[in-house]
Amino acid sequence: MRYGFVIDLKRCYGCYSCQVACKAANNTPRGVDFARCLQGETGTYPNALRQMLPTLCMQCAEPECLKVCPTGATKQDEAGIVTVDKKLCMGCKYCMMACPYGQRHSVPGWSTYFPDAEGELDFYQTYAKGRWEERNGYGIATKCDFCKDRVKEGKKPACAEACPAKARYFGDLDDPESEVSILIKRERGFQLNPEFGTEPSVYYLPAR
Amino acid sequence: MELLVKGEVIMEAQTATKPQTGVKEDVWIPTSCGGCYAQCGIRCHRVDGVIVEIEGNPDSPAGSGKICAKGSAQLMTLYDPHRINYPLKRTNPEKGVGVDPKWERISWDEAYDIIVTKLKKYLEIDPRGGYFQATTVQTSEIRFAVIAFMRAFGFKNYWVSGGGLWCGNGAHFMNGIMHAAWSIIPDFNYNNYTLYFGCSKGHGAGHAALQTAQQVADARARGMKAVVFDPYLSTQAAKGHEWIPIRVGTDGALALGLINVLLNELDLYDAEYLKLKTNAGYLIQPDGHYMRDEKTNKPFIWDFVDNKAKTFDDPTIKDYALEGKYTVEGFTCTPAFQLFKEHIRNKYPLDKVSKITSVPVSTIRRVAKEFGEHAQIGSTITLDGKKLPLRPSAAIFFRGSQGHVNSGWTCLCIDLLNHVVGAADVPGGAMGHGSPVCHGLPETGKPDTVPYACEDGLMVVKGWVYDHKPYPLRKPAPPTRLDLQDMFPCSVYNAFTICSPDWEKYLETFKIDYRPTFMVNFGSNSVMTMGNAQEVTENFLKKFEFIFSFNIYNNEFTEAVADIVLPDSCFLERYTPCVTFPSTFCHPTGIDHWVWQIRQPVVEPLYERRDFNEVMLEIAKKLGIEEKYYDAINKVIPIRYGGDMSEKYKLDPKKQYSWQDVCDRVLKDRLGDSNGLEALKKTGLVKWPNKVEELYWRWFVPVRVPIYFEYFIEAGEQLKEVASSFGMPEIADYNFYKPLAQWNPCPSHTMEGSEYDMWAFCWRPSFHTQSSTQNNPWLDEISTSDPWVYLIQINEETGKKKGLKDGQMIWVENPVGKRIKGPVRLVHGVHHEHVCIAGCHGHWARGTPIARGKGVFFDDLTECDLAHTDSLTQGSDTCAKVKIYACKEKE
Amino acid sequence: MLLKPQSKWTWLVAAYLFLAGVGAGAYITGVVADWLGGEWAGIARIGVVLGFPCVLVGCAFLVADLGKPENFWRAWMRPNTSWIARGTIVITVFMILGAIHFGFWIWPFDSLVDADGARQAIGLLGAIFALGTAIYTGILLGASRPIAFWSTAMLPLLFLVSALSTGVMAVIVGASFAGGAEAAIVKLGKVDILLIIAEIFVVIFYLQGTHRVPESRASAKLVLVESVAPLFWIGVAGLGLVLPLALELAGAFALEGTGPEVAAIVASISGIIGGLFLRQVVLAGGIHAPLKAGRFEYALANT
Ligand SMILES: Nc1nc2c(c(=O)[nH]1)N[C@H]1C(S)=C(S)[C@@H](COP(=O)(O)OP(=O)(O)OC[C@H]3O[C@@H](n4cnc5c(=O)[nH]c(N)nc54)[C@H](O)[C@@H]3O)O[C@H]1N2
Ligand SMILES: Nc1nc2c(c(=O)[nH]1)N[C@H]1C(S)=C(S)[C@@H](COP(=O)(O)OP(=O)(O)OC[C@H]3O[C@@H](n4cnc5c(=O)[nH]c(N)nc54)[C@H](O)[C@@H]3O)O[C@H]1N2
Ligand code: SF4
Ligand code: SF4
Ligand code: SF4
Ligand code: SF4
Ligand code: SF4
Ligand SMILES: [Mo]
Repeated sequence: MRYGFVIDLKRCYGCYSCQVACKAANNTPRGVDFARCLQGETGTYPNALRQMLPTLCMQCAEPECLKVCPTGATKQDEAGIVTVDKKLCMGCKYCMMACPYGQRHSVPGWSTYFPDAEGELDFYQTYAKGRWEERNGYGIATKCDFCKDRVKEGKKPACAEACPAKARYFGDLDDPESEVSILIKRERGFQLNPEFGTEPSVYYLPAR
Repeated sequence: MELLVKGEVIMEAQTATKPQTGVKEDVWIPTSCGGCYAQCGIRCHRVDGVIVEIEGNPDSPAGSGKICAKGSAQLMTLYDPHRINYPLKRTNPEKGVGVDPKWERISWDEAYDIIVTKLKKYLEIDPRGGYFQATTVQTSEIRFAVIAFMRAFGFKNYWVSGGGLWCGNGAHFMNGIMHAAWSIIPDFNYNNYTLYFGCSKGHGAGHAALQTAQQVADARARGMKAVVFDPYLSTQAAKGHEWIPIRVGTDGALALGLINVLLNELDLYDAEYLKLKTNAGYLIQPDGHYMRDEKTNKPFIWDFVDNKAKTFDDPTIKDYALEGKYTVEGFTCTPAFQLFKEHIRNKYPLDKVSKITSVPVSTIRRVAKEFGEHAQIGSTITLDGKKLPLRPSAAIFFRGSQGHVNSGWTCLCIDLLNHVVGAADVPGGAMGHGSPVCHGLPETGKPDTVPYACEDGLMVVKGWVYDHKPYPLRKPAPPTRLDLQDMFPCSVYNAFTICSPDWEKYLETFKIDYRPTFMVNFGSNSVMTMGNAQEVTENFLKKFEFIFSFNIYNNEFTEAVADIVLPDSCFLERYTPCVTFPSTFCHPTGIDHWVWQIRQPVVEPLYERRDFNEVMLEIAKKLGIEEKYYDAINKVIPIRYGGDMSEKYKLDPKKQYSWQDVCDRVLKDRLGDSNGLEALKKTGLVKWPNKVEELYWRWFVPVRVPIYFEYFIEAGEQLKEVASSFGMPEIADYNFYKPLAQWNPCPSHTMEGSEYDMWAFCWRPSFHTQSSTQNNPWLDEISTSDPWVYLIQINEETGKKKGLKDGQMIWVENPVGKRIKGPVRLVHGVHHEHVCIAGCHGHWARGTPIARGKGVFFDDLTECDLAHTDSLTQGSDTCAKVKIYACKEKE
Repeated sequence: MLLKPQSKWTWLVAAYLFLAGVGAGAYITGVVADWLGGEWAGIARIGVVLGFPCVLVGCAFLVADLGKPENFWRAWMRPNTSWIARGTIVITVFMILGAIHFGFWIWPFDSLVDADGARQAIGLLGAIFALGTAIYTGILLGASRPIAFWSTAMLPLLFLVSALSTGVMAVIVGASFAGGAEAAIVKLGKVDILLIIAEIFVVIFYLQGTHRVPESRASAKLVLVESVAPLFWIGVAGLGLVLPLALELAGAFALEGTGPEVAAIVASISGIIGGLFLRQVVLAGGIHAPLKAGRFEYALANT
């Protein structure tokens, strides 16, 4: 069993829905997005092209983040999901330097989304802050975990669930019959920056 | 506009009615999103009284379980501490852009008191000076309170923000005539080739956003090609097969060029469709009018088998002549098609079109050929046992191409591409958006929206969103409205009168014997969304003695001109009985189910927020006009929601109803006894299968559409007569009232050789809704890191020629000296003559501190006057000729 | 596409890298001086005494940079997980040896100062680990493979040379405070001339090596002409290299009398500050590789 994603760049139209759905599902604090979308332009007018690249933790089979982690806080489970043990992490940020995909985050503390407002946090932020502290916390490295808990409940990861273009597929890479495996084979799936030898579990299908 | 915001944002520390504490719950509640007008089915996760997540509702065909960035982010709006939570009173008598209203919190009792006292006075003296202005975003709410109140009170002045002017005057009008629909969209299920003219359909903005995003992705994966004409490498252009940069405002000319190739070079057209489903075969007299049968008054066609003129619906017709000249009753008559074809050949030769549009002649030829060939004229497909034409080519358009002086005609020119190849409302072609034809829920037969033919055989829509249908045209008559709208035959809204300094002159000239008195404003941020903020405010909004506004934020409008602001509940806190009907916005074409959705509070309104519809009903009751209010609702329902009201559920003017009672009765009337409000609260929706005859209705409904607009001649003459009778014939350019498709330039196109060497225009990002969403911190976060949205994009080469550096602050200035400022981004994805600005950003209201100062406010570059108005539909021109230059330090 | 430098490691980490380098360099200087004996005895003592405390203070900066300082001890718990963990062990061993060596000169162990054999054995071992510490700071950054500016064999070499050079300088400053070692100071100054010249070459080779990939080219641009340039040209090139070199050269070959040693001291202070700036320049110039998909390249958002 190795969980993986396929993101079809042909289908993706760069709407950021995955980014916000992830934020909502994981209660990530201000400035932190586990499902970060990047915008790109290439070519020269009038033959210019644009394409968004939605990213998330690649749950690398050979994770750089794990290789540099001095405390053993970074772990990899049987399904290939790379997690951070919040008890062990000391927040040295080595993993952030080492991750080739920019998929590690550290949060110094909750900062309100409404800095201009006085008084207590609103109801939602009170809830979100509590959940964040319960599941992650401050100072340590945090990251996407392929929505492990949702998946356990039988749901799709939040970003895949939301994606209006159905550009995100989630499944088992080890199973050659799975939708993701078939798509990768049939549609020239590729991984980002293979030169780092990280063997990402997130594959992309070419835009054109 | 240079704007200095003085004063600080003062936020009261607010104590909310705490969510029900002690209640341990973990529930999902179905309702409808109101983040934009796609009205997707959503479900909200409520934990111990707090909404903690919003997801798509998988049961709903409107969204099919998906949700967009704006939708998910709405919970930040629900709990935004900057929301208005209490009624507010203006204490600063000064009004104007950027003024601090110095709000004072008042009680609901006091608010009602002030409003009712004022309104009573107007009701007694002269109710006609009232004005209702509403937002396009909360589209389902406006059909009840707005219309009912106006009728009950007795005024006719009404306006949906920049809507119409910017996006609907031309498009809804032409689509209504040609497709019985609000808009058109490719049939993504079978389409292979679509031309996009300034619209995003399937790429975030536009209609039924989420399902179409999925449909277009499927189609793209299947190999559908989209060729996108846009000055900007927009999302749709980025995803398309080909991006063809075009000069703004010239789409109509381009479409005529393409038709020219099809008709005069390639001979590629669907003769059968033109003969049977349009007026192409109708015989035209030398004076431009139909040749009619004297007895029946019906238009003639020429049967070239029998070699004689017959009325268009004569059952003995063997075949129609499309070309040639025929003598009927002594007149030389020509089939409309022949005139059309010649007109385009003579008036729109390719070199001229290329010069207007900046699209090379070879590209026009190639695209026309591809379009025509992909239509596979003659091919058929059998669906559900029914044999239908298959025409997998479509040409679509919307806000971008329609927002110009040639608005109405441009929309028609583009749509004619579809009709020339027979690709209208058939598999693969251009479809009336939202499946305009509905046979209703099988149990009740409602809503029923099957169009019918007029005497001349032309299509008349059955259900429509405005009181006035797009066809037959309104008969020009002396105006009674403050914007003179009702004098014009095709106008929906109209800004050039009210927003210009000449408004008073117009009122005097046209002998309007009353003046604006009070305005009810629901949402609409007209200071930002209509045009130049200063002009709109000074010339128009400041002319009202009293304005009360429902809003969820204090926006540029309330701060500039509102006297009283009422804290509206947002869409997550209120009831709305009909959100997916009329199906203008939310039913994607080609899905297999209709859905009737409601909106219900997923939390009780927080603080002292109250529902607009409830409050307006309350005001009506306090004014003692509720009888008329109920009566108006009874009358509105059949028009908007297709089909008469049953006696059982009509509101009885003698009784008292709450807003929820009204909702319940409307639902039971439309959907049957078992589908009242209580029942729908559980499911949020009722759905039923969509039939082939509904979806691909064109050949099932015996109606024709015009390619020759004979009736415009008369409309123009009547308008001229009325206008002349008041001594102001120059209020319209009557050349627009001709029967054959045409293109007319905007003022920006006729200003050659000046220092104003660029065109400014705007586009819409998928993760914002007009001027509504910028205070949402999640969406603001995206925008801040997005490389384009908060910046002014120009072509890199152009920028370099002008000595500009990426990131530098620049001024964009129009010929009358209005200018806006922002950081420039040098890119390759913008036509080299254009300045490209996103959405409706650049806020300055104190009430939205997160939005403040972010992005660039485009509308200040636009002008509201006759020269920038479509003489046919009175839509506004939304492009501007500009010059750009670097900002000096500290400007 | 605008590649942005990392922003997570800043001055605190630079201070750590710098102090670890200075400490290691000073210690090595001390050990070498100890072997030489004679007129170098005072210098030896200063070098050794400076070594371990500098590294310790450096580590304090590192701990201060941690998101969870209270978990710092976990760095020792998994020595076999990563190079970083192994490096931590190297530093720790160095600090232990340094502390013992340091002990030889302070009460109540100062009676041991004559146990030459034991002391020099510890010195040798300690110097090996000091070398490890100095090099390790470079390896630590180099472990971030997506940052090509760091991930190069030149960086450990650069940090080593800088460590030695700043170490020598620290000893010079220390000795000037302790007093009475003018001759040695002048000689150390001459040694430093060689180290500075070596460092200049290493810096040049280091920057020259950045042409390979876009991200390190962007780093070089940042450092040489963009936002980090003032720090590089004034801080590193000026204060760290050119000024000390000029002063020391002047001291060694031009000035007579009390001049040379003052020149060496001023040069050293300047050079030490330059060493700190060098670490900060390297950190601030670190840019992650862009993500590549088809013809597109994307700058990472979270750096
Ligand atoms: N620059 C620029 N200008 C444009 C456009 C553009 O693309 N760019 N688009 C044009 C078009 S096509 C249109 S249709 C118009 C739309 O123009 P408007 O109808 O004015 O729409 P919005 O800008 O979204 O402003 C709506 C206001 O409604 C408020 N609101 C939101 N939800 C609720 C609610 O539940 N209750 C109440 N009472 N208020 C609410 C928001 O706070 C916001 O201030 O703008 C036009 N103007
Ligand atoms: N996400 C989101 N969805 C929305 C809305 C929203 O605000 N946000 N608003 C809703 C409303 S009210 C409307 S009206 C619709 C509008 O939906 P669309 O019609 O899709 O509107 P835009 O994105 O404003 O414009 C479409 C394109 O037209 C281009 N354009 C501008 N001028 C011209 C021109 O002269 N010629 C051509 N060929 N292209 C041009 C722009 O660059 C842009 O790419 O969206 C609706 N849906
Ligand atoms: S939600 Fe889907 S379509 Fe939108 S940006 Fe993410 S992957 Fe792309
Ligand atoms: S993407 Fe980065 S954080 Fe995720 S597993 Fe790979 S190296 Fe680790
Ligand atoms: S920050 Fe935490 S997870 Fe990352 S390397 Fe350091 S200890 Fe490991
Ligand atoms: S899998 Fe879950 S945590 Fe990861 S990006 Fe998607 S929504 Fe976020
Ligand atoms: S498309 Fe519009 S209605 Fe649908 S979820 Fe997004 S904001 Fe809500
Ligand atoms: Mo609109």
